[in-house]
Amino acid sequence: MLLEDDDIERERRPARRRYEEPIASRLRREIVAIAENVMGPYEDQCAGIGREIGLNFEDDQIRGPFLDNLVQLLKEQPMKIPFVAAVILYANDVNSEAGKETMARVGAQLQNALEKGDWREFKLLLRFFGCLQGILQEGGVLPVLDELFDLAADQMAASEEDAVGLELVKIILLTIPYIMASSATGLEEQISELLKKTEVIAYVQHPHEVLVAPYPGDGPEIPFGFQSVIGLLQKQLEREAEKGWELRCIARPYKFLPELVPEPKEGEVKEENGTNGDAKPKTSTKHPLPAVTIPAPQNLAQKPLFPETFFSIYADLEVETVPPTTNIAASLMRDCLIDNINILDFNRTATAKFLIEMDFFWARGTFASRGVTLDQLKNYPAERSHWKPEDVVLDALFSQIFLLPRSEHKLIYYHSVITETCKLAPSQIAPTLGRAIRFLFKHIDVMDMELAYRYLDWFAHHLSNFEFRWKWSEWVGDLDRVELHPKKAFIMSILDKEIRLSFAKRIRETVPHQYHFLITEGKFKDVPEFKYNSPTTPYSSEGKEILSLLRKKAPESEIQIAMDAIQTQAAEHGIEDPMIPSTDAYVTAVCFIGSKSLSHVLSCIERCKERLLNIGPMSEGARRQIVASVVEYWKDQPGTAVNIIDKLLNYTIVTPESVIIWALGPETLGNGSVLAEGWRYEMVSVTVGKVTNRVRQIVAARVSSVTASLEDEQIKMLDDTLTKERAAMRQLFAAIADAVGGIAAGAADGFIEEDNFTTEEAALVKQWGERWGRVFNRKLAVEEAFVGEAAVVAQIAGAIAQAGLQKTRDEKAAVLKAEEDAKREVERLEAEAKAAAEVEEKQAIGLNGHGVDGNGAMDMEHDVVE
Amino acid sequence: MPAIRSTVDRMDKPSSYAASKNNRRRESDRGDDDGPREQSPQREFEDNLKDATTLYVGNLSFYTTEEQIHELFSKCGEIKRLVMGLDRFQKTPCGFCFVEYYSHQDALDCMKYIGGTKLDERIIRTDLDEGFAEGRQYGRGKSGGQVRDEYRDEFDPGRGGFGRIYTEDSH
Repeated sequence: MLLEDDDIERERRPARRRYEEPIASRLRREIVAIAENVMGPYEDQCAGIGREIGLNFEDDQIRGPFLDNLVQLLKEQPMKIPFVAAVILYANDVNSEAGKETMARVGAQLQNALEKGDWREFKLLLRFFGCLQGILQEGGVLPVLDELFDLAADQMAASEEDAVGLELVKIILLTIPYIMASSATGLEEQISELLKKTEVIAYVQHPHEVLVAPYPGDGPEIPFGFQSVIGLLQKQLEREAEKGWELRCIARPYKFLPELVPEPKEGEVKEENGTNGDAKPKTSTKHPLPAVTIPAPQNLAQKPLFPETFFSIYADLEVETVPPTTNIAASLMRDCLIDNINILDFNRTATAKFLIEMDFFWARGTFASRGVTLDQLKNYPAERSHWKPEDVVLDALFSQIFLLPRSEHKLIYYHSVITETCKLAPSQIAPTLGRAIRFLFKHIDVMDMELAYRYLDWFAHHLSNFEFRWKWSEWVGDLDRVELHPKKAFIMSILDKEIRLSFAKRIRETVPHQYHFLITEGKFKDVPEFKYNSPTTPYSSEGKEILSLLRKKAPESEIQIAMDAIQTQAAEHGIEDPMIPSTDAYVTAVCFIGSKSLSHVLSCIERCKERLLNIGPMSEGARRQIVASVVEYWKDQPGTAVNIIDKLLNYTIVTPESVIIWALGPETLGNGSVLAEGWRYEMVSVTVGKVTNRVRQIVAARVSSVTASLEDEQIKMLDDTLTKERAAMRQLFAAIADAVGGIAAGAADGFIEEDNFTTEEAALVKQWGERWGRVFNRKLAVEEAFVGEAAVVAQIAGAIAQAGLQKTRDEKAAVLKAEEDAKREVERLEAEAKAAAEVEEKQAIGLNGHGVDGNGAMDMEHDVVE
Repeated sequence: MPAIRSTVDRMDKPSSYAASKNNRRRESDRGDDDGPREQSPQREFEDNLKDATTLYVGNLSFYTTEEQIHELFSKCGEIKRLVMGLDRFQKTPCGFCFVEYYSHQDALDCMKYIGGTKLDERIIRTDLDEGFAEGRQYGRGKSGGQVRDEYRDEFDPGRGGFGRIYTEDSH
């Protein structure tokens, strides 16, 4: 019954009161999606949101959480900054309090970002103010730019290797266009003076430029060399100044609408308007820029930075599908896109969507239609833009994959964004992507080798997401090249990488028959042969014996007998180090037993750990034999070998030195042909990476010891370890440089006499030597910038300064909080007093305060008492 | 100060599946005991995952090897341990695994960059996991594999064809 009643009750009840979304949350939704595919012009959208903010600015939810979100939007979605700025310009016209308060909030964050050395955030927030230049008093952002320039100049004067100065100049140059596209006028003079100053720094050559060029050298075959980002910016801005600051690509969603500005209240006189409010034209209220204190140079956070090069696949080609490098649009779009990509790494699908829709966020007419083909472009009228949004987007993505010395995120992030863009808009992205793949392949011979490897890694991974489909027939001609040719080596490595993500039979299906000979028989075998099964292999019976003993988990003493047997025989044959053949048999048996899977080999290594660990200390040669045996066993699946070596390094069964000497030592190097093997580079760079990571960790511990209150003794220990490990690291790099340097210098020429080693091959090998040398030379330079003696001193000083700044910030925040609390307390007391007074008043006129008008606090107390 | 909500959702959060599974587990754990209620199971669940270095990986083909998994997942960082999910009876791969990294950040990056992409031409699923425990490598389905493979009425060549129970029923 009860239930039924309840049901009837429910039915009879009038429809539930419709939930009305609070205005702050609706505005949040609208501003977060600003300029995304709006029906109607973006001017109206900005004006609409701005107007509502202005009218409702008294709402706590708008002043509070909404403004926080707005600041967050500036930091997270840079392409929307001009639109958010326009919203605030409109809001300011409606209610100048809105403009003032927003600026104060953004200003505080701007200062923070500057002190922390968060240059990207600083740049974005400063850009917001640049867009607001029209409502800023006294020069607005310009004096800040001047001060930043002075700081940059000091930095550069102190050290020619400094890149913070470059970063600051870049920020200045990237802010200028937004100022010039703002509603402010008459700034041409000042800006051209600023540009005269920045010129000195922007055009200067940085000593590290040569290290980070994607296509090194200056031969005619390279598509482009190092193109300084700030050098380009400077030139583009100078050109823009000559053209009277057209800045056609920047959207300008703000127009002053006098009807938005409220009539001055009776008796209230607007500052700028002189004596009488009426009859004067209405204007926007201006505010001072929140104070920005430029920190002293020694207080800057110390993060090693490298000069930046402008990487572009599509720029300056026959058909202008992206802004030419002479056009400021090239830099502005690139800057926004890479910020967007790098900031939003936590949602690759959202990032891909922004990228696909990026044409929304630029002035109308900036781009050709999405997905327009090159053929269709030919029929475009000359005055219409030929820029393909997808070309601009992929250019930005590839610029991050090919950024030296390293990209901001793991490379796989950029792979995944490319995959998502392909999934979202296949017909739009695929042709553009195909052009990139061809361009990269065409120039692979002259590309930095580390980057060529990144290309390889991306391409294989990408194809694995799209059924391994690619027009392989295009490259059939390259199959006739010698194996040492970078293009042929690339094709061989790519098939290998694909097989690692899939399996040989499947990959064979995906390529034309001309490629089949590259996928050798051994690659189809899950379990490679155990060579000792063949009676012609030396020590065949002992090898088999060791295998069966290991399988049986026989005691070590029995295994030792078999090992000794090999060693005795080897000694009789006059072999210098008899431990080498016995190690070979042992390790090969371990590999064979573990061939079923990685876990199998790991558990086998674990079981044999003790004996394996004892090999190295007894004979360096035998230690290298461990590496050799693993690689030989897995010669058809070198990826597996690389993995196993990696684990052996973790077990300290092999050392980084032994891996490097095995990989590049004279015994293996021979005429140098092995340098063309992709997996060999992978093995060496993984090994080097382990060593450099360790040194960096020690440095990080040392730097954070500044605030960690460590004992002096502990600090000394850290310092000692650092000195030791750093020296070992340098030695490792020196060993690599020695080995590949010899090949680069033409050591291989001696092999021309040999059968089948031609002059062409000798020349190619020399090139490989140079490419290896360049990569590891750079890696060393990068490490020195992080862990070198001077770098560590600078980082420690920076950390101390940062700790000081943090303390000041905390204190300031505490004071502010105390003030806020006090203010709130006063308000509370006042409210209480007022309420009490009201109650008294009511009682005085004979009304019972309790229960009549629902004085909540009183009721509560009453109930408790009852 | 509370963290400000990001303007874009994050992909490195545990999935709603993991969270709901956790809630169910919590509820059954609680039993009839009328003791003080947990403050917030959701909160505790998130706390457990705040340093997680392990991922559950699902929707693998039965034929995908450790080497393939290693090849893809090591793009997010060095792998500490890889445990293949096995059929309880046949001890053969049954379409899931646990991947453990050395660092929490690598596990998060894996959520962001690998979850929902393809391995061995299948879209795979990743979820943050509290950590592998012995026994969890086995399928919990009646026939030894994963429960989801028992009742599947679509043919999935990578996961043993039709669901096992489905196949039995139709015979």
